[in-house]
Amino acid sequence: MLLRVDQKGVLTGVTVREAMRRQVVALLQTATVAQAIRSTIKFKVNALLVEAPDRRALGVVSKTDLMGAYYAGLPLDTPLEAVMVGPPLFCRPEDSLDAALEVMRRQRVHRLYVAEEPPEVAVGVLAYPDIVGVLYRFCHRCRRTLLKKGERGLDLANQVRVREVMTPGVASFPENARLLEVMEGLASQRLAAVLIRSLQGRPVGVVSKTDLILAYLHDLPPDTPVREIMQRPVVAVKQEETLEAALRRMIFADIHRLFVYRDQPEEMVGVLSLSDAARFRSGTCRACLASRIKVGGS
Amino acid sequence: MADTAREVMETRFFTLTPQHTLGQAARAFAEASAATGRRVFGMMVVDAQGRLVGMLSLYDILLAIRPKHIHLWGEMQDLELEGLLDRACCQAAALRVGDVMTTDLITVEPDTHLLRVIDLMLKKHVRRLPVVEQGRLLGMVYLSRVFDYLLDRLTAALPEGEGEGVHPA
Repeated sequence: MLLRVDQKGVLTGVTVREAMRRQVVALLQTATVAQAIRSTIKFKVNALLVEAPDRRALGVVSKTDLMGAYYAGLPLDTPLEAVMVGPPLFCRPEDSLDAALEVMRRQRVHRLYVAEEPPEVAVGVLAYPDIVGVLYRFCHRCRRTLLKKGERGLDLANQVRVREVMTPGVASFPENARLLEVMEGLASQRLAAVLIRSLQGRPVGVVSKTDLILAYLHDLPPDTPVREIMQRPVVAVKQEETLEAALRRMIFADIHRLFVYRDQPEEMVGVLSLSDAARFRSGTCRACLASRIKVGGS
Repeated sequence: MADTAREVMETRFFTLTPQHTLGQAARAFAEASAATGRRVFGMMVVDAQGRLVGMLSLYDILLAIRPKHIHLWGEMQDLELEGLLDRACCQAAALRVGDVMTTDLITVEPDTHLLRVIDLMLKKHVRRLPVVEQGRLLGMVYLSRVFDYLLDRLTAALPEGEGEGVHPA
């Protein structure tokens, strides 16, 4: 009995409709790479849908693709149809969120577009950060239940530590590395950002794909040293911090990754991303499990 | 007198450059509003040669201020929000105008007929149209100015004896 209850994930019964975002940022296939960069910055999205004039979805242009265009030396007025990846993957509003997550995991994509009828016109988009929102809603309710049931339950919920969820290992580049080298590193390791270290090895900044595509838009030569575009200071969290607190910190700072250190900020040991948090909570959230066991046992 | 964009365009206007930060742009919006006596909700962006390269509107600024993960907070009633607006503004203020401006603009020429201007404003839902000649920005046509112009012409079109107008309630 308990086993069967255990297998029920937090997301069971939740549909894509409840988690999707209805504002789809899209550009025409003839729009330029420069316009796409501005749209990703302005709308704060990681990818744009590329549409035909009849609104049919043709492809997706992500920050990775835009960075690739910079790396390849393409001019900023290159049309998006030349750099997009297509066709986009779709799900439907009534699909279960579990199933959609499974498709995202299997296909190694960060987002699915949502279509009804006609099947190639996007009415929404589902990405990891959206799912975090839904998870939070469920966990929050769950925590209220725990509160009613006593402080022991709440303690359990707060026991999940950053170190259990983070991706161990920190990719870094020295501050005098060229943008080209950093782009190679980000692409080959499928990373969104890297730590930048001083020549003495101290963490001094972070460079993300966003910083790189802005450098592209600003016409910076790709052999510029990375220190000129890095963001500082490094936003980091101690590995013994709770996941809850780390999540809040990311949302407050409007970033989707935190570097994780052991005892001192000089000693970086991993990265915690919003999508790590989402994946974790969708599968093996302890708080949720604890509450279900309690319910099942009573 | 030809009924063209030239007749109604405002030739006193303020512009931004792509290198301005949003913080500087905000100050320019306030200054332009004070200097022209009209609330400025959008400014044209020109390059060093005076060529029109984009427009920065109120909407672009609001988007730049809106945090990426705002849709999560609806779920997070226990989140401490003290100081958050200042932080969002601080981040947005550092962005460059050229990073967030709208570049696919609808423009008219000084000789574009006023009826065509009206048609564009209706079809594209815009309240202002830049007037451009060979890439150079000459002026701005505002919906309110077009309306004033039309009111005069409509009044003049009234047949004799129908000029009484409406009575105040």
